[in-house]
Amino acid sequence: MGRKLFPSTEWFEALAQRMEHDRDAYRDLGSIDCTMVVRVDAPERSHLYEIVFAGVAVRSVRRLARIEDAAPGHFVLSASLETWREMIENIRAHGGPDLTHTLNYLTFPDYPMHVDGPDQLQVDAFYRYNQSLQRFFAGAAGVATAYARA
Amino acid sequence: MSKYTPAVEAGLDRLREMAHGNYDLGWMNANPEGWGHEVTPGPLGVRLCDVETGYYGRVPEHGSEHGSMAPRGCAVPPGTTALGMYTLNEMAEVWAENAGLLYDEAVVRQWNSVTDVPWDKLAPLPDDIERAVCQMCTGLTEVEFVAGDMPAKWLCRINHDFHEVKLFLATQIMDEARHLDVFRKRALANGGGLLMASPCQEKLLSAILEAPDYTTASALMHIFGEGFVLTLFRQGEFLAPSEVEKAIFRLCMQDEARHVAYGVKHLKFFLERHPDRAEQVHAILDLGEQAIFGLTLEPQTSEPRAILAGGGLANIELGMARMAFIYAKQVREYLRRLQIAGLDREDRLTIPKEIPFDRVAA
Repeated sequence: MGRKLFPSTEWFEALAQRMEHDRDAYRDLGSIDCTMVVRVDAPERSHLYEIVFAGVAVRSVRRLARIEDAAPGHFVLSASLETWREMIENIRAHGGPDLTHTLNYLTFPDYPMHVDGPDQLQVDAFYRYNQSLQRFFAGAAGVATAYARA
Repeated sequence: MSKYTPAVEAGLDRLREMAHGNYDLGWMNANPEGWGHEVTPGPLGVRLCDVETGYYGRVPEHGSEHGSMAPRGCAVPPGTTALGMYTLNEMAEVWAENAGLLYDEAVVRQWNSVTDVPWDKLAPLPDDIERAVCQMCTGLTEVEFVAGDMPAKWLCRINHDFHEVKLFLATQIMDEARHLDVFRKRALANGGGLLMASPCQEKLLSAILEAPDYTTASALMHIFGEGFVLTLFRQGEFLAPSEVEKAIFRLCMQDEARHVAYGVKHLKFFLERHPDRAEQVHAILDLGEQAIFGLTLEPQTSEPRAILAGGGLANIELGMARMAFIYAKQVREYLRRLQIAGLDREDRLTIPKEIPFDRVAA
């Protein structure tokens, strides 16, 4: 299987396929109903991807031209391309994140990753479904990844 | 003269009628409006929100006056005995538009402290780190079950027509039982034990339990208290010295965020119908803020976290500086949640928005 470019809709769809493959494990964690926007800040521009979760699956993945195009109820997970790359490579190296590369670890001090949203309850959805979201990104362990140039 | 009571005799008469083929069968057509209900299961199965539609989804502004546990939407025979228990009979006093959804979410996102925490990964830690973890767990064991006691105090007073709220609160009680259980287990599981209780914490707990009505108790506990604890759980995951604490805090964090979501939506629903009651909510939050400020700076609360953030007792000052942003984050998220509920507290806040550790030290 060829390497998937990060960030791209193909890369997130590959994670969605792994989620489908691990459906029973996600079912054990419980349903997840939220919209996550991933923002990747590269020097030349920012990239936005909207991932809609419903039940124990990804309902849709799409690239956004601007944040205003996102579904009204969403939270945004933002970081530089370098930070995303480090997190993904850490997951690939260990089969999952080590203690200092979990989503909560990276976002809690608001740096190097940041979580925000139109209102606090949307941000709180990131906390409410954290275990499932963490597992979703841990799926990167099985996705050979190439990176856009930083 | 019969040796049985009139009630038993009446039952025997009914039995004799049935033995002669004289059945009542009135119940079969007792509720024509509620018969023929259709449900479309979702991808995961049948959720509460899938069945509470149409006739059965109509929640009355005022709960039933019969005061029994008869389920909402059924036929209630005349003379059904009232329990005399319900004092929360107005929908606005308890309702939140997300209560049913949160109940469904709670039941499918349950976990347990026996098998869902990787206890086999516990390993000996340096003494100062183990003591800090145990103190943090002592504090959380102390505080967590107030969020079980508070709903339990009000649950039997809530009219049975608002069962979505009652069911959600029941899941919260179970969540809090699990939190008490898992933090106690962690404190005892790695060669340490419980350390010091928190007098400041008790002030906040009593304010929650003694709140004059359900809504003020909910604002103080669901939004204020659990909002602050949610940040502490996030901090706990951030500072966790092993996969064991990581898993514990991440699982607890999810539960806590659900409770906060109910509290915010309940206060919003309430204030939209009773804007004149905003001052009562402000008044109880005044109390809570005073209690939390003392709690935040209490040594048994702040110092273990600073030790973990600094990487050991020798670096406690560094840890204190590293964690200075936590309090500001707690206050900021608290104010933003109240804003969603329709309560502007920016100018009413009785505590600083930040704790200037560096300036205090200077």
